[in-house]
Amino acid sequence: MDATIGIPPAVTEETQAFWNAASQGRLIVERCSACGRDNFPPRGMCRYCRSRSMVPTEITGRGRVYSLTVNYQRWLPELEVPYVIVLVEFDEHPGVRVVGRLRGCPPEAAAIGMAVEVGFEPGPGGYAIPSFYALNR
Amino acid sequence: MGTELLERRAVISGVGQSAIGRRIDRSGFQLTLDAILAAIADAGLTVDDIDGLAMFPGGGKSNLPGYSAANLYEIQDALRITTTWRQGLVEGMSLPFYGAVQAVATGLARHVVVYRTVKEGSAAKKAGGRPAYGSIHPEAEGPLAWLLPIGALSPVCQIAPYAARYLYEFGVTREQIAWIPVTQRKHAALNPDAVYRDPLTVEDYLGSRMISTPICLYDCDVPVDGSTALVISASETVPDLRAPVGLEAMAGVIDGRPSWEQWEDFTRVGYATAAGMWARTDLGPEDVDVAELYDGFTIEAIWWLEALGFCKAGEAGHFVDGGERITLGGQLPLNTWGGQLSGGRLHAAFGHTAEAVRQLRGEAGERQVADAEVAVVTSAGGFEAGAALLTRWR
Repeated sequence: MDATIGIPPAVTEETQAFWNAASQGRLIVERCSACGRDNFPPRGMCRYCRSRSMVPTEITGRGRVYSLTVNYQRWLPELEVPYVIVLVEFDEHPGVRVVGRLRGCPPEAAAIGMAVEVGFEPGPGGYAIPSFYALNR
Repeated sequence: MGTELLERRAVISGVGQSAIGRRIDRSGFQLTLDAILAAIADAGLTVDDIDGLAMFPGGGKSNLPGYSAANLYEIQDALRITTTWRQGLVEGMSLPFYGAVQAVATGLARHVVVYRTVKEGSAAKKAGGRPAYGSIHPEAEGPLAWLLPIGALSPVCQIAPYAARYLYEFGVTREQIAWIPVTQRKHAALNPDAVYRDPLTVEDYLGSRMISTPICLYDCDVPVDGSTALVISASETVPDLRAPVGLEAMAGVIDGRPSWEQWEDFTRVGYATAAGMWARTDLGPEDVDVAELYDGFTIEAIWWLEALGFCKAGEAGHFVDGGERITLGGQLPLNTWGGQLSGGRLHAAFGHTAEAVRQLRGEAGERQVADAEVAVVTSAGGFEAGAALLTRWR
């Protein structure tokens, strides 16, 4: 699979673990050891109880599309269009919303509320990017 | 009210703009000087009266080509002035004059020039289309690190999911929303400085190409070259000023997660800022004569119509349908200069503020709102929201 065209992320000490896990096809967020809430993006501090004791936890369950857009504009040379951008939330991980691409259905079939599965695809700069898979198309 | 509000100790004294167009064959620096000199003259002041300088954004690196032009120190050097207060902003209050008002109200300066210069029209031409984020520094930092790698390469892709969610929750239609760009184009026809002045119809809108669903071409503002400068003055200098405009209230509240993709509720985007503004005045929505609401994209004007209380949540589609309420002679004339959709993307509410000042002075020519006494100006939305109420000087 050819890498998706885009702009690579500047990886920080806070986000390194996310991108490392992504390269293994795993979606991780931070879980607070003190209050148990999940946090994303990773900040090294729980935004609910301000504990600094954060541990990675993997999201494996289904997500649901909070909103989306189908992009038709070729922003960069070689960018293949159209493609779907989804913002995904997870019933079992309240407060977590992850942005990614959507695969597994025609762009026009993508819809708010649609169930998706976690996945990744090769992205810019050698990074793997979130690429969700449509379930009930 | 016990203590006088800070913003009541400041006035907007001058507005100046350079030539504005899809491509102006003149450097951003020269456009900036054009606008600044015009604004100072408009205020009835001289260059030597200016003792404060502010720009948006600051000198930090921008990742959109043409987004910023004219370094603050080089402008000060060219004007050969002494400044007692300066500010460059990217992360901060999105209203162009917020910091300057604080400076003159607290005595740190008397007359502050605030400017915003864009060369995005030229940049778009050079790139063969509206450029992507990352065209200058090809690495995505901060909140953009989650957006650019997956292909949300432009502000359009970041705002489009807000519009999608709004249409989904409220059942508002694109046929209704079309009346915002269509009506604003009608206003632009009365503004000789607007970039697009030919009539636009709802059919044109519905037939235009999709950029990022549900945002089509005519939902997007127009990248331009141009500069706007404002002069903000301490209110005790009013006797020296040609035509000051009052500042009744202003606010910029972030009550949600401060990034486009993490903001919790995509249908409630300026409510805390609107509430913050109304809390600082006895005036209410019914007192507003003209609304200059930020319209980088059509949906942003919709956010503000609802957040400011001109209509209820989800009712903006009905409110703008047919265009009568939002045009000249209607209940709430909206973006009387054409807005950024037809007047040009002068950004950060600089174009909106300039027009509000003209309207409140009665200097808006053919598009003058009769007897305009109160104008509302907003900037962006969400974590970049700003709102201000401007009044005719008594």
